Amino acid sequence: MSTGIGCRNLRVYANRRQLLEVPDLHVASGRTLAVLGPNGAGKSTLLRALGHLSTHRVTGEILLDARPATRAEMREAVVAVLQRPIMRRGTVAANVTTGLRFRGLSRREAETRARPWIEALGLDALADRDARSLSIGEAQRVSITRALAVGPRVLLLDEPFSGLDNTTRADLLADLRAALTGQPTATILVTHDRHEALALAEDTALLIDGRIRQHGPTTEVLDNPGDVDTARLLGYTNLLPPALTGGPNTLVARPEHTQLVRDETDEAGLVPGTLRRTVALGIATRVDVDTSSGPLTCLHPGDLLATELPPVGSDVHVRIRETRSLTARS
Amino acid sequence: MDVLLNGLVDAVRLLLTGDQDSWSITALTLRVSLTATVIALLIGVPLGATIALARFPGRRVALAAANTGMGMPPVVVGLFVTVLLWRSGPIGSLGLLYTPTAMVIAQAAIATPIVIALVAAALQQVDPDFRAQMQALGATPVRAFAALLAEARLPLLAAAMAAFGAVVSEVGAAQMVGGNLAGQTRVLTTAAVLATSRGQFSLAIAFGLILLLIAFCVNLSLTLIQQRQTSPR
Repeated sequence: MSTGIGCRNLRVYANRRQLLEVPDLHVASGRTLAVLGPNGAGKSTLLRALGHLSTHRVTGEILLDARPATRAEMREAVVAVLQRPIMRRGTVAANVTTGLRFRGLSRREAETRARPWIEALGLDALADRDARSLSIGEAQRVSITRALAVGPRVLLLDEPFSGLDNTTRADLLADLRAALTGQPTATILVTHDRHEALALAEDTALLIDGRIRQHGPTTEVLDNPGDVDTARLLGYTNLLPPALTGGPNTLVARPEHTQLVRDETDEAGLVPGTLRRTVALGIATRVDVDTSSGPLTCLHPGDLLATELPPVGSDVHVRIRETRSLTARS
Repeated sequence: MDVLLNGLVDAVRLLLTGDQDSWSITALTLRVSLTATVIALLIGVPLGATIALARFPGRRVALAAANTGMGMPPVVVGLFVTVLLWRSGPIGSLGLLYTPTAMVIAQAAIATPIVIALVAAALQQVDPDFRAQMQALGATPVRAFAALLAEARLPLLAAAMAAFGAVVSEVGAAQMVGGNLAGQTRVLTTAAVLATSRGQFSLAIAFGLILLLIAFCVNLSLTLIQQRQTSPR
């Protein structure tokens, strides 16, 4: 019997409108699935439905260890971390014991069980602080520690890193990854950031408009967009239709693999266009070029001085170093 | 000025000598107002919570009604309860008019809208995802609701204080449905009104002081509970 969490024919409705349809999904114990999608794709809806936390109408089956689970079983097995860390009154240490106390442990037992997690997630110094005086980053760290302290069989993470500054996010990602390693927890991380998926998850599902478009090992999924929507989600924002490339399929490319040719060259495969604008982004320079079949975005490393670039309106050529062929028609 | 000063001195003497009638009036006041407050909490907390947390048509109208009820004149409440309990009224056969029970009913009716409105406001201040997060950590819906009440305990205690303060100090309803019968339904406020109308200012001031003392003691104990729980454990 495969352990972990899953669902079958899961549908979520707001009034009569269907928000989500997931025919089949399974995350095995000890593995992490990232559900990657743009805003409004239904990521949180999926997470809440899987955790029996949805306020919408949900049909289909939620599976725990491959069989339909009751609410009580799910309550025992699952812990979810919501997007905004919500603290109770009291100290950080008391907050970390919350999930354990809900599972019937005495205060003393809960504190004993929570202690190693407080240390593992580096919260020792904050343990006696009033939980509501924490910064958002600290509070989210407490929120994640509170979830891990339960030792849940299923951990649901609803964009826990959004709203954190880069350093805090990187630290917390690393600590979470370390904490999950070796744990028999089936984890689902909902995010719109592919870097988080790459850092935490062995598998990734791409969710767009309430449906999973692609699902597989993270590195494969992130590098092989199936259609235009998933390509955009994965950062392949430059669309190269057959009319432009002369090939049989639409190709896609990342802006960082797309660059303006600044020297005279008769190199084959260059795409002609007109320079529309240049934007200095500090560590990179963005150049937008209009071609006969749509706009292309080029991203050059470094801050190119305006003098190094031809003036707006010039005829230019674009070199595309790396492309992907869409694996499915959208 | 002399009247006030002499009144105060006499009042203190009266309090210290422990007049039997004053004590029984004080005891009845406490019994009626505390019972009314507890009933108002039992009715008002679930209703206030429903208005704050549930989504149903007419929710805002219900909240507006509760807010209006906060300012309801006790005399109006007393009038309605009197009509209700009048011998020929809908529940007149119970014979409750001019009994402490009638006063409890009237005072509970005064306090309930206060509790509803303040509880709804208290619970709306807590993060709307609070219960969801508690359930996400394994709480049953009932446990999550209890956690929510615990989270909002400071404003909830304030609601209890406001309700008690309103009923212990009101005179209109107590007079109308209680009748101010000596030894039966006389409470501090109605006794103070009667003493004043008879020119017994010392006695009236004594009742006033006891009233103030009761209000202070009840609110002090609630404030102590409230503030003790403010500091993190």
